[in-house]
Amino acid sequence: MNIRLENLTVNFDDRFQLDEINWQLDDTQHWVITGTNGAGKSALAAILAGAGDIVSGSMSGVPAKVGLVSFEAQAELIERERKKDDADIMDVISEGTPVHEILHEGDRNPVLIQQLVSMFKLESLLDRAFRKLSTGESRKVMLIRALASEPDLLVLDEPFDGLDAHTLEMLQQYLLSLVETVPMILVLNRFDEFPDFITHIAYVDQGRLQHQIDRHDSQAYNELYHLLHLKTTELQVPPTDSDTALPPLDPTQPLVRLNKINVTYDGHRIIDSLDWTIEPNQHWQLSGPNGSGKTCLLSLITGDHPQCYVNDIFVFGFQRGNGESIWQIKQFIGYVSTALQWEYKVGTGLRNVIISGFYDSIGLYTKATDRQKQIADQWLALLGMSDRADTPFNKLSYGDQRLLLIARAMVKHPPLLILDEPCLGLDDMNRQLVLALIEKICAASETAVLYVNHHAEDKIKGIDHYLALEKREPDSSQ
Amino acid sequence: MSNNYFNTLPLREQLEQLGKCRFMSMDEFSDGVEALKGKKIVVIGCGAQGLNQGLNLRDSGLDVSYTLRAEAIAEKRQSWKNATENGFVVGTYEELIPTADVVLNLTPDKQHTPVVNAVMPLMKEGACLSYSHGFNIVEEGMKIREDLTVIMVAPKCPGSEVRAEYVRGFGVPTLIAVHEDNDPQGEGLALAKAYAVGTGGHKAGVLMSSFIAEVKSDLMGEQTILCGMLQTGSLLCFDKMVAEGIDAGYASKLIQYGWETITEALKYGGVTNMLDRLSNPAKIKAFDLAEEMKQIMRPLYNKHQDDIIDGTFSRTMMEDWANDDKNLLGWRAETAETAFEKTPAGDVEISEQEYFDNGILMVAMVKAGVELAFETMTAAGIIPDSAYYESLHETPLIANTIARKKLYEMNATISDTAEYGCYLYNHACLPLLADFMKDIKTDVIGKGLELDDTGVDNARLIEVNAALRSHPVEAIGAVLRGHMADMKKIV
Repeated sequence: MNIRLENLTVNFDDRFQLDEINWQLDDTQHWVITGTNGAGKSALAAILAGAGDIVSGSMSGVPAKVGLVSFEAQAELIERERKKDDADIMDVISEGTPVHEILHEGDRNPVLIQQLVSMFKLESLLDRAFRKLSTGESRKVMLIRALASEPDLLVLDEPFDGLDAHTLEMLQQYLLSLVETVPMILVLNRFDEFPDFITHIAYVDQGRLQHQIDRHDSQAYNELYHLLHLKTTELQVPPTDSDTALPPLDPTQPLVRLNKINVTYDGHRIIDSLDWTIEPNQHWQLSGPNGSGKTCLLSLITGDHPQCYVNDIFVFGFQRGNGESIWQIKQFIGYVSTALQWEYKVGTGLRNVIISGFYDSIGLYTKATDRQKQIADQWLALLGMSDRADTPFNKLSYGDQRLLLIARAMVKHPPLLILDEPCLGLDDMNRQLVLALIEKICAASETAVLYVNHHAEDKIKGIDHYLALEKREPDSSQ
Repeated sequence: MSNNYFNTLPLREQLEQLGKCRFMSMDEFSDGVEALKGKKIVVIGCGAQGLNQGLNLRDSGLDVSYTLRAEAIAEKRQSWKNATENGFVVGTYEELIPTADVVLNLTPDKQHTPVVNAVMPLMKEGACLSYSHGFNIVEEGMKIREDLTVIMVAPKCPGSEVRAEYVRGFGVPTLIAVHEDNDPQGEGLALAKAYAVGTGGHKAGVLMSSFIAEVKSDLMGEQTILCGMLQTGSLLCFDKMVAEGIDAGYASKLIQYGWETITEALKYGGVTNMLDRLSNPAKIKAFDLAEEMKQIMRPLYNKHQDDIIDGTFSRTMMEDWANDDKNLLGWRAETAETAFEKTPAGDVEISEQEYFDNGILMVAMVKAGVELAFETMTAAGIIPDSAYYESLHETPLIANTIARKKLYEMNATISDTAEYGCYLYNHACLPLLADFMKDIKTDVIGKGLELDDTGVDNARLIEVNAALRSHPVEAIGAVLRGHMADMKKIV
């Protein structure tokens, strides 16, 4: 068996479409297809059993006998039974097809059926009408049908859902006995259900096969785990610490007001007479090519740029250069950038890294309170990193570090969250992770998000204000 | 030339001043920068210390501007660029000094006399003059106008680190002092504390010392263990390894990065931890070598301390200053010509542990140098806290400089005062250790012990461990590192 899907686009009654799928499977592999609800994972599994209309591309090498168990297939069979009933023109009450007939339909191995029936303890239900079964019971029937057809490929869509613990164990044991002989594709959305024999994982999102990873690539596996965790968890931004609450801001004042900003460096004008106002709760995207002054502009707001003292800058109630300290400014800002990540080279644990967000420090130099620890733990849970609270930060993967720094920036519920190219240097999976987190923060909190990106078109849901900087030619200075 | 200030004091006061040093507690800084709020701070000099301290002070909400010599402004020199590009007001002495409430003198030691002579007449009645090193006051005997307050605030790290640590929300350990002859309004301490807060130093720990204790301990530390011992050790160890047939590239790398690696262990857990990184037989070996070297070098350490205390050192150095740095520049050129300096580190992998295992003699040299410097300083009346900072605490900083730049650049980076003392030490110490080095083989430098049997005598090991752990530098080190760890969770 060597299944090849090439640039395959498949339509499902105009309800759903899988786009440009490229996928190869052979008979030494066992795959899990995973993704969030509505991502298209069941659809991907179903096309191997012949579902959907191919719009373009090709699919080859699918064996003749594919055993499919899915809610859709189950529902279809139940629907067929119901129609049988409706179609009965005689004035007798139809009992519908009994289970034993359903089981023996088509080309199935009777000895195997018997074995499986006893394994799933279905003996007492053999004479019952299929459509009278409970969901769990009919699911067992579907499983037996699929297994007893002795398929060349077994496609099981959420096979463990709705099974009691005993049956679950039985089924898992049985699947294990098939590992050497039948390639399997399982659709599962819970990582803890992935059987050990799985060799590969396909991640589907928005009708596309986004990632294919080797089970033994532990880093990719870990990242996928986080992505799925974030995508499937309802994001509730953890509360902040009332003991270290920020001083209140006047809600009628803008968070930031830059007035005719000029920045000159080495005789070159980087920023020329720029005005910009950020009101509370406004989400902004700042874009522009390299060298257009994005980071420079941000550092004027955060107080990290020395020329903030020679410009007309109003931030969080302070007109800069009047005896305020940068810590009075920074307390209102959550900040994430690649540069910060480079500087955040510490061996302290993840919990401490999050808590350091309360103090705007790199590393933690103040004894944390129990309340702060609690809040940090809630963030770790949100990121799916609860088991690593004391893991040194520098032992984390690059993408996980970025996620953690976003949590650090958000921990104090800053009025302004600045994300300076938060996806820079991240692979596609981690990019999606970070964007998913940002979208959730935009939707779920009172924080104004300032998202900085190279590409104006790389948009985030929830952001509706844009400032685009243009590259200044060195010659056009002064 | 004025009189050496220290030598004008009666013995009673000399002892009192030398013995001044107290680790301050965090709650002594609860007033923050209040004492400097709204005051006009003018910094003289915009090099690494000047610029970075100024950036920190301004970011702490203080009013900072820079004054430079008129030529530096007219020629738009680097110091002028540093200040203006960072958005500071820059002016001549005449323009800014008369408006200043506090003047921070952050020029190199050597320039202090002309600088102070130039600015003092321009200073406002009752203003404050701050130093970051007491050499000018203590050794050169500079007399400051009676109405002026004189303080010292000395961050114990390079300028770039002063800034980097502040930006990350921390600071660097800082020494403060008030020149008691010049504290007419009794506000010196309040100003010094506020200054330390403004640079972030209070978060990392502040030592309250005296001008005298700072100068006499700082000079001793930098010329013996910090720069002198590492320079001498580098040259001896390299030449020995090459003579014994070890690959020169390997030898160069083992030394260049070895000091940094082994003193990292020193930084975390003192001499004890540094030796604990060795196997038992190697530890005993290092201990014995260190004991032998301590006996040989003790008179040299005593001589350095004596010359520093009675002013001989500063006098001879100032004579060289007056002689266009003939000695200093000659010695600097010699350093560039040494075999170690000219042999680049080889492209070989050396694991962290290997630096210990194959560098037993280097570990012994650090141990001997740290303990001797500490013992000599405390015997001269400097209190243990101060002696610890000026010996053990700063050794990793210099080791780090050698790792990055080897000896020539290390010498060019440190102050001229430290460099001058370093050469004096080096020239005396090389011949002193010549006989000792004759018996040294690659088992203690270059190859490691390579023993089949790593067993040791229990009684001897217990003796060595007890001796290591009971040394006074370990006792005070444990206390001071404890303070640091409380404040700085990550080191």
